[in-house]
Amino acid sequence: MTTVGRVSPPLLAMRGIGKSFPGVRALNGVDLTVHAGEVVALLGENGAGKSTLMNILAGVHGDYEGTIECQGEPVAIHSPRDAARHGIAMIHQELNLVPELSVAENVFLGREPTTARGTVRRKEMEARTAELLAGLGLDVPPRRAVKHCRIAEQQLIEVAKALSLDVRLLVMDEPTSALADAEVRRLHAVIRGLTARGVGIVYISHRLEELEEIADSVTVLRDGTCTGRRAMARTSRAELVRLMVGRPLDELYPRRPEQAPSTPPRLTVRGLTVTPPDGSPAVHGVDLTVAPGEIVGIAGLMGAGRSEVLQAVFGQYGTAARGEFTLDGRRYVPRSPGHAIRSGLALVAEDRKAQSLVLGNTVRFNSSLAALRRFATPWRTVRRRRETTAVREQMTALAVRTPGLENSVGLLSGGNQQKVVLAKCLLTRPGVLLVDEPTRGIDIGAKAQIHALMDRLAAQGTAILAVSSELPELIGMCDRILVLCEGRLTGEFHRDPARGPVADQEAILTAAMARHAVAAAPAAGPAGAPRAHGAGTGAAPRPPSGTASDAASDTASDATSGTASDAAPDTDSHELHPKEPRS
Amino acid sequence: MTSVLKAAPDTSGAAAPGRLRRLLPLFGSLQSYIGLVLIFAVGVATKGDIFLDQTNLTNAIGNFASRGILAVGVTLVIITAGIDLSVGSLMGFASMAAAMMLFHHDMPVWQIVPLCMLIGAAFGVVNGVGTTWLRIQSFVMTLAMLSIARGLDRQLSDNASVGTTVAGSDGKLTPNSEAFQSLGTPGHNVLVGILGPDGIYFPVLAFFVVCVVFHLVLSRSRFGRHIYAVGGNPTAARLSGINVTFVVIAVFTLSGMLAGFAGPIDAAYSASADPMAGNGYELDAIAAAVIGGASLAGGKGTIAGTFVGSLILTLLDNVLGLNAVSDNWQLVIKGSIVVFAVVLQRPDLLGGLRRRLTHRTRTDRSTEEK
Amino acid sequence: MTRKALTAVAALCVAVLASGCASKTDTASSTGGDKGDSGQFVIGYSQSNNAEPYRQQLNKQLQYYVKQHKNLKLLPITDAKQDNATQVSQVQSFIQQKVDLLIVSPNEPAPLTPPVEQACKAGIPVIILDRTVNTDCYTAFIGGDNYQIGKKAGEAAVKALPDGGNVAELRGVLSAQPQIDRDKGFRDAIAGHGIKIVESREAKWTRPNAIQVMNQWLARGTKIDLVYAHNDDMAIGAYGAAAGAGKADSMKFIGIDGLAIPDGGIRAVQQGHLLTTFVYPTGAKEAAEAAYALSQHQKVTKKQTLGTVEITQANAAQVYDEFDMSSKTG
Repeated sequence: MTTVGRVSPPLLAMRGIGKSFPGVRALNGVDLTVHAGEVVALLGENGAGKSTLMNILAGVHGDYEGTIECQGEPVAIHSPRDAARHGIAMIHQELNLVPELSVAENVFLGREPTTARGTVRRKEMEARTAELLAGLGLDVPPRRAVKHCRIAEQQLIEVAKALSLDVRLLVMDEPTSALADAEVRRLHAVIRGLTARGVGIVYISHRLEELEEIADSVTVLRDGTCTGRRAMARTSRAELVRLMVGRPLDELYPRRPEQAPSTPPRLTVRGLTVTPPDGSPAVHGVDLTVAPGEIVGIAGLMGAGRSEVLQAVFGQYGTAARGEFTLDGRRYVPRSPGHAIRSGLALVAEDRKAQSLVLGNTVRFNSSLAALRRFATPWRTVRRRRETTAVREQMTALAVRTPGLENSVGLLSGGNQQKVVLAKCLLTRPGVLLVDEPTRGIDIGAKAQIHALMDRLAAQGTAILAVSSELPELIGMCDRILVLCEGRLTGEFHRDPARGPVADQEAILTAAMARHAVAAAPAAGPAGAPRAHGAGTGAAPRPPSGTASDAASDTASDATSGTASDAAPDTDSHELHPKEPRS
Repeated sequence: MTSVLKAAPDTSGAAAPGRLRRLLPLFGSLQSYIGLVLIFAVGVATKGDIFLDQTNLTNAIGNFASRGILAVGVTLVIITAGIDLSVGSLMGFASMAAAMMLFHHDMPVWQIVPLCMLIGAAFGVVNGVGTTWLRIQSFVMTLAMLSIARGLDRQLSDNASVGTTVAGSDGKLTPNSEAFQSLGTPGHNVLVGILGPDGIYFPVLAFFVVCVVFHLVLSRSRFGRHIYAVGGNPTAARLSGINVTFVVIAVFTLSGMLAGFAGPIDAAYSASADPMAGNGYELDAIAAAVIGGASLAGGKGTIAGTFVGSLILTLLDNVLGLNAVSDNWQLVIKGSIVVFAVVLQRPDLLGGLRRRLTHRTRTDRSTEEK
Repeated sequence: MTRKALTAVAALCVAVLASGCASKTDTASSTGGDKGDSGQFVIGYSQSNNAEPYRQQLNKQLQYYVKQHKNLKLLPITDAKQDNATQVSQVQSFIQQKVDLLIVSPNEPAPLTPPVEQACKAGIPVIILDRTVNTDCYTAFIGGDNYQIGKKAGEAAVKALPDGGNVAELRGVLSAQPQIDRDKGFRDAIAGHGIKIVESREAKWTRPNAIQVMNQWLARGTKIDLVYAHNDDMAIGAYGAAAGAGKADSMKFIGIDGLAIPDGGIRAVQQGHLLTTFVYPTGAKEAAEAAYALSQHQKVTKKQTLGTVEITQANAAQVYDEFDMSSKTG
């Protein structure tokens, strides 16, 4: 471990890095420099290319353009082993620990100290692990199974693992997304200890306030290119957001101001109660209505039962979903997704790859899959020409960028995939569109287009029920926002001040975390607060694999970590402000 | 579903290439031809007229026909990301049932064949119900069915083979037995005078017809789309309104039904039903499907590909046999050519290999520089 | 805790099952072992594979001939399904049951040698049927002579082709000893008679394979005067293929096995499809007689090599009736 001054060549210099995936230019001429003892923050919206850049550094993508220099010497990194040889380690957001193995076994995985006979020297391994953990201020027995450690502890175990490798450059991808305040502080202390020893850190995070605290400089990516490099001390949050987003925010939420007149609702739900058999969060007695031309949002923390409401209405739980439903005034009983589609409902599911797309198949196949009935002949065959025409119309309307209808949907970018999912739903000509995280993990341009599409559909009379973890999105797009907490409705907010309380982030988050405060709070004082606090922590244990990896869902995760801290709920809600410049 | 040749239809070309483009997918893609073309080339180069002789080709395909029909059913199952190991045993059971219907009850062919298909379908339903409602992995379920059907077959036959050439009291074949021969006994063609002066050998005809019918089902029908969707992503299929359970049961039922159809053909081919008939056929059937581009991971595969895969397997055997290659070397060559054919058919695989090799060398070089 | 409980339950299950099996074995041996009372001489027969017509025939014949002796009792025949390990355990199970006589048709010589020696040490007489074992520690061996049969088939071919000619040979599984002997005997017999083996291929004892190989030979245009197949199934398959090509009349077909079943070689000779076939003796009758002799404490011949019967149209009907078990056993 050499302590290199700022005059010596940088620890790491990536120059003109480019990388293409089929159909997507992920990175274009990106530079990144890290000096010894420096913390460089890497900032950017989802899909900006941060992960791709770091994966190149970690040797995951072997074929990249551009050069990488380590301490002034050009190096080629084509495999994770190359990266390790140059002292580069990466801690992924999804932790790479084996849950069944012990802490010590994880730290020395693949490099277990062995005796001459080939057996593992367990004692030595555990002693060295204990030493490393002590250096990080972590008091965990080395023999404990990792699955019994808390997320924050696991994070530090990953750091210990990296340190055992004699690491010179450590990449941390959203290390604090699952951590509470106290744990974040401890991690930052560890980082400062590392930099004092000359280790360079690349720190990926969306929490600007956190970056201000820990980072020395910041590099911002947008759409695969570098939009700016600043010393942290000499920049502002507003500037960083401008560099990240690159456009005024109102373009992102093109909801036309006039609101649909009060018409009889298209979908009504009374007392929806469901306990999903797969262990997903339960829903207790939710009432809601959606009128034609209306966009109704559902907000709430992770695990509040938002998606479950949509899935219950869509018939995914069959008749296990109890409650009274009407569609255009007629009784509707959710039976199965097939029945729901036939009844005029369509669902854009939360995870497009796992739930919506047959990735190996073509754009045409995927787009028409739910609407094949429309193109059926009496022989139960599919009229190919009509199908192709209809699909192509949708592709044009949604501005899907694909080489052709017969190209595999798996090769499209996230935004275009999401548009194909939307096309699939729209081809069934739904009267009610249920959308779950419609813009998760897609680039900002596609996001704006999808928002515009939702606005257009509403103008044409479609009733839209939207779930999102991005509060700015809900506030920007929805006429009404319903807030769920632990499967119960805890608030309703409006865009139009004349109709009720106005939707703003603070009010929504308070409702999302205090389940009695809004619904039936006899005393919102000291009695209610502890309950709300408990509810917040209980309802939002963030899984280590963090599905909400996109930038803006930090609103929810911020709230999580906020409640997990020891501060009182009232002070919490002040800390909760995610990305103030946005709201 | 290799789509390299299936150019995007939105590039509207001239009429003739357009038609060609529409025709080509019917036979699968050009890649899957390569193995077959090579085998044809070797056959013609070494044994010219003998190889191309109509009788030789008929015999070669006829020999594989029952396995080819099984392969069509197996392809459907494989596309849904399942596997059907029971088809060989089901075919054996059906062939025994057919022979016994003929031998003991002197039933006419037109009753035997549908009954056998029904029997096979019934077994298939059990396979489907086991994999869906009981959530047993299809590998395990059909492996169990392989054993069950074979056991029933042997119990039914008391381990003795049953002949299908039944002589009446006058010493000549009974009319029903005579008719049964037309299902596949060598030298007994059907549609004589209608399809040319010699007619056509029924196993070959049956195999072709089964292929065409199921090609149309897979490529043209809604049910076919549903099969691909279920194999590609069952969750997405369900959320698209597809009854996944129904599709899986239906696919196993069809596979069983086709095995039931292959049974009488196999019995007629050997002029007897052997208690071990069809033993190991499931592996040939799976091989044909996989050589034809079906992916065991599901969502991929075509009947055209399976057809080509079947031809590759049987014509390879034919070419080696005609050239009197020794039996031991035949095994080696067959195995090697199957691997070779599959690699050739998959440009993605070749490309990946090339990329990996170049990487390796690049990395090595960079290591040497140090 | 739960894991321990599960293990305990599993262990209990195993114990119960094992005791269940054991008690079954007990009853079996008690019914078998009480020869003092009823004077029954209990025979255990381990068959290598039931699913072969020849062995099925053997089973039926053995059951029939044993029944002719009132004091002999044949336990249910065990089927090793072509698996050595299965057969070893089945033989050992018979030894456990203390049968009075063990008859074994070994699947393969080497793996079955140790259990046969075990039986020998336990004082149980052993009759080896059909295939050999690598030990002398048995009471009697009864089996056919594949070399002799192959030789007789060769002599029949010489007789059928007095002026010499072309022979095609359909072989059994190449690694099988009967295949090797039937091939060698045939070649020795035809040597020096102007007969050439022009084609020779493995067809693995089955009809579909024989049809396929025969079709290929016909396509090659090889001139074939006579087809010699290592069993009747292949011979009948080859005949079918030749008949399908309209060439059956110019060829003769010789098979081996001569089973008296409707689908077997004897009927094929009667129908004129095969020129001749050679009975591969099951040895069932001889085994039953040896068993009776042993039950009467008489000496038996250590090695009994059985002859064959050449089936021609002249004697086919009579031989069929002699061996036909369908009317004799239930």
